[in-house]
Amino acid sequence: MTRPQRFRRGRTLGRFARPYTRRAVVAAVTLLVATGASVAGPLAAKEVIDRGIRTGDYNRVVLWVAVFLVIVMAGWIATAAQSYLTSWVGERILADIRIAVFAHVQRLDLGFFERTPAGVVISRLTNDVEAMNSMVTDGPTTLLQNTLTLIGSAIVLLVLDWRLALATLSVFPAMAIGTAIFRRYSARAYRRTRERMGDVTASLQEDISGVRVVQAFRREDANYRRFIAVNDRYRYANVQTVNAASIYFPFVSLLSAVATAVVLGYGGILVFDGQLSPGALFAFIGLLSNFFDPVQQLSQFYQTMLAAMAALEKIVEVLDTEPAMADAAGARELPQIAGRVEFTDVQFAYSATSAEVLHGVSFAAEPGQTVALVGHTGAGKSTVVKLLARFYDPTSGRVLIDGTDVRDVTARSLRSQLGIVPQESFLFSGSVRSNIAFGRPEATAEEVVAAAEAVGADAFIRALPDGYDTEIQERGARLSIGQRQLVAFARALLADPRILILDEATSSVDIPTEARIEEALETLLRGRTAFVVAHRLSTIRRADVIVVLEHGRVIEAGTHRQLIERRGRYYALYDDWVEAVA
Amino acid sequence: MTFRRLFGFLRPYRGQVIVSTLLAIGSQVAVLTIPFLTGRAIDATQPGHRDRSALMLNAGLIVVAGALQGVLMFWRRFLAGRLSLAVEYDLRNAMYRHLQRLSFGFYDRHQTGQLMSRATVDLQSVRFFLGYGLIFFSQNLITVVVVVAALVAIDWQLALIALAISPAIMVAAYRYSRISHPVLKDVQQRIADVTTHAEENIVGVRVVKAFAQEERETTRFARLAGRVFDQAITAARIQARYVPMLQSLPNLAIAAVLLVGGYSVIHGSLSLGSFFAVNGYLLLLVVPLRSVGMWVGQYQRAMASGERIFEILDVDRDIVERPDAAPLSEGPGHIRLEGVEFGYDPGRPVLRDVDLDVAAGSTVALIGPTGCGKTTLTALIPRFYDVAAGRVTVDGADVRDVTLDSLRADVGIVSQDTFLFSTSVAENIAYGTPDATPDEIVRAARQAQAHDFICDLPDGYETRVGERGLTLSGGQRQRIAIARALLMNPRILILDDATASVDATTEAKIKLALREVMKGRTTLIIAHRLSTISLAEKIVVLEAGRIVAQGTHADLIEESDVYRQIHSHGLVDRTFVDLDGDAPVAERRAASGSPRRLP
Repeated sequence: MTRPQRFRRGRTLGRFARPYTRRAVVAAVTLLVATGASVAGPLAAKEVIDRGIRTGDYNRVVLWVAVFLVIVMAGWIATAAQSYLTSWVGERILADIRIAVFAHVQRLDLGFFERTPAGVVISRLTNDVEAMNSMVTDGPTTLLQNTLTLIGSAIVLLVLDWRLALATLSVFPAMAIGTAIFRRYSARAYRRTRERMGDVTASLQEDISGVRVVQAFRREDANYRRFIAVNDRYRYANVQTVNAASIYFPFVSLLSAVATAVVLGYGGILVFDGQLSPGALFAFIGLLSNFFDPVQQLSQFYQTMLAAMAALEKIVEVLDTEPAMADAAGARELPQIAGRVEFTDVQFAYSATSAEVLHGVSFAAEPGQTVALVGHTGAGKSTVVKLLARFYDPTSGRVLIDGTDVRDVTARSLRSQLGIVPQESFLFSGSVRSNIAFGRPEATAEEVVAAAEAVGADAFIRALPDGYDTEIQERGARLSIGQRQLVAFARALLADPRILILDEATSSVDIPTEARIEEALETLLRGRTAFVVAHRLSTIRRADVIVVLEHGRVIEAGTHRQLIERRGRYYALYDDWVEAVA
Repeated sequence: MTFRRLFGFLRPYRGQVIVSTLLAIGSQVAVLTIPFLTGRAIDATQPGHRDRSALMLNAGLIVVAGALQGVLMFWRRFLAGRLSLAVEYDLRNAMYRHLQRLSFGFYDRHQTGQLMSRATVDLQSVRFFLGYGLIFFSQNLITVVVVVAALVAIDWQLALIALAISPAIMVAAYRYSRISHPVLKDVQQRIADVTTHAEENIVGVRVVKAFAQEERETTRFARLAGRVFDQAITAARIQARYVPMLQSLPNLAIAAVLLVGGYSVIHGSLSLGSFFAVNGYLLLLVVPLRSVGMWVGQYQRAMASGERIFEILDVDRDIVERPDAAPLSEGPGHIRLEGVEFGYDPGRPVLRDVDLDVAAGSTVALIGPTGCGKTTLTALIPRFYDVAAGRVTVDGADVRDVTLDSLRADVGIVSQDTFLFSTSVAENIAYGTPDATPDEIVRAARQAQAHDFICDLPDGYETRVGERGLTLSGGQRQRIAIARALLMNPRILILDDATASVDATTEAKIKLALREVMKGRTTLIIAHRLSTISLAEKIVVLEAGRIVAQGTHADLIEESDVYRQIHSHGLVDRTFVDLDGDAPVAERRAASGSPRRLP
């Protein structure tokens, strides 16, 4: 880990803690009071003995016991306040980190989700945040209390006898070296543990959501063996942290024994030489444990911190992933659009190193027109719509909406006027109603029903056990594919975008549903500019403009009639389709 | 109860548990010898007893004791740390194994995120407890027992006063434990809700982005994260009420001992030495008692999580093999459904009174409107669900009487949802037959008309298909799913809308291939296209969970309105065009086998 990385982690934590500075300060004050009470309590108890019992004055015994109790009560209250406040700040920071990671992930480009398994992202949001829990909630208390005790004891020891104090400190270089080695080894092991936990989570995510296929293909045993391997790799990484800790903590306590021995040996010689009174040596040794207890506590805390820091590092990694598509500085809101779309000489490659997939695409669509994009897989149809929705930016050339370059406006204002119906009708768990209202949560019940009616979904929805309030289970598992498609259409219709991008699903459904889908499509396309990655012959024929793409170039564009008359590429394709489906 | 069961997971490591406990005791003893040796060393410096060699010897012995303690502690930590990881590992494997075997019915009711959270976050808190909590507890318990015994031996009356506070401590600890349990369990549940929301949103991120709903979803997530916070704060409040109390109560005992003991010393009924000893031992109790609160919290968290884990492990597998289940014997694949009734929810039957006979080696098409129960019917054959009444037999054997493995090995399914795993294309095709040779994989892919487009992928058969196979088109995914089913070489083939997402040209080719592979197999086809339906010898029309008509094409065209409607709609307009374009036009033309025709 490089220094800047460590710095960034610290800064990230600081950024999340800042809003709660005041509570944290109050917590620190209560912590000081509590620490003070825990030091003062035994002192008062000592006074009971020294001033009361030893002198035989029972009144003083009662008086100092009373003082002792007052201190105990103060400590009690302060500890309660401190415990609550530190937990509050700690839990709040964790919640904020969780929310920040989620919000950030939602802004990332699709490329991120294609690279990163869902389970790994989930692990960051759950396991990694939980791994920081003990450091953030109990850590500050352990750290502050023990540091104070350590400093206090060190001063007392120095005042008592500086020579012996220096002798004590002689073990510290060894401690520093040991700690540095521990950190190096342990931090790496913890980092690996977090990564492997991500793998475990990803395995669970995939095998649980695909469990039906697993069982249909009797993969339970094979998958179990594979999971054991993933789980074992996690365990192995974690065992490395155990190994490091198993060596480090005994090492620290050995050093405190060595320090005691050194002090005794050196102090004894001083006593023999008459440079030190035996009483002073006795007192010094007595206080030595006050010094080494916090050292041990702090080394425990250090381990907790390393574990948490590895988790934080993983979280910061996500937070530092820049969305490939960010709003330009000074991007403005896209005003209400009419829906004219123009591509001018657009060239595009997915990355600097990969091959160009669009080589100068130009075409225009007037408001209200339906554009069918036609061409083989890999011709660039989906790339064209991705550029329009600004999931990516062109390498050169421009994408204009109502004459405005999409790079000059905010992604949010653009997409809120854009509707996208992907090929797969992904539905969320929740009611049918909430799924239809997904793009426009403020829609009224009537509007939801109207949208469903318009796409012909109303009848089957009402036949469900709880009508519009029926819970449709994860990914809409309760509905058939055709029904899911209709719900997805209603969802797009209710969002009422000016520009619609439709990746036509090709699942065939029963005849009445198919008829309904085609009608629904007509309703959906009416009155807005639409780009359809078309799969239905009917859709293609009805389009105002058919854009035929081949190898990243527009080779033909026009209406069905024009293109048929031209007897070019489209004509050949069409001939082929008609013949195949006849 | 939960505790005992969790403890049970330590049983395989009984030896290590005992050894690490002994090591813990050993290292405690070594720690305790250090003050003793220190005392001897100090004595050696006292005037009149000065003994340089005794001093050095004892200083040396301290180092030896320290080293001994270090070694013992190393082994203790080393063993205990591994132990807790081993238990976590075992529990997670057990959960995974159990989850993979639970029935479809279970998964209809549970969300992925909820289950994931139990196998990760909940498991961690159990591990912390089993690994550190237990040893920590036993260490402190040993201290408490020794100290109490010493106190009673020195002065039982004073000891009694000192221990008078212990009922109060116990009551407080018990109440803390009881009150925090439901709260901590709820915290875990709310973390699972966060996991579920995250899981769904990340998998469905394209939809979220398409509708520009990032902000609203973040708000919803923030609300869920806030619910975790709220409940964690409730737990913190309970902790703030009880833990400082548990830490302060021993001080009351000290105050009482000071008062009473002081009185006794002043009035001569107690020696100063005994008083010091009592006080000294009481101080030794402060640390273990202080950690009682912490321990209770950790214990309850582990119990709450343990309960949540056992909730899953205790779900009875409702699809279980009979103890005497035999493998499905060889046969031609004769399927019978007799008086079958079935519903996902009680009181809402999906299939009613279904009698169906599918002759061995024949092909039957199931048709009917969306939601009529076609898919449900096919799910009963590989026994994904059990019938409510009636029975399903394969070659005369009730599916409930044979082993699941042998039954499912003989049923190949291509379903509507083509779930692919994030691994290579080859591995996805060989999903049901991991030991298939590359040649077999290619042959299956060719049969499913998938070979050509697979060869065009960046790494051919080794191309990793993304999560849920998202980088492929619907039609491509479906063809991989067909190849996957064909490679199993099953006696029964179920094609549930298997060519739904395939364009007409490719379908025509697959149809030809299917004709080949259907030979010698019993095939059930759910389809909407006439071209596919025409592959079947017998057609069964379902409506609202009942069979309303069955027979040959000729029979039904006369008898069934539904069938007539389907038949009359086999029009050009209703179909899809080929956009996957993985075969040159000429080849496709040849495959479709029809003469060239222009509009």
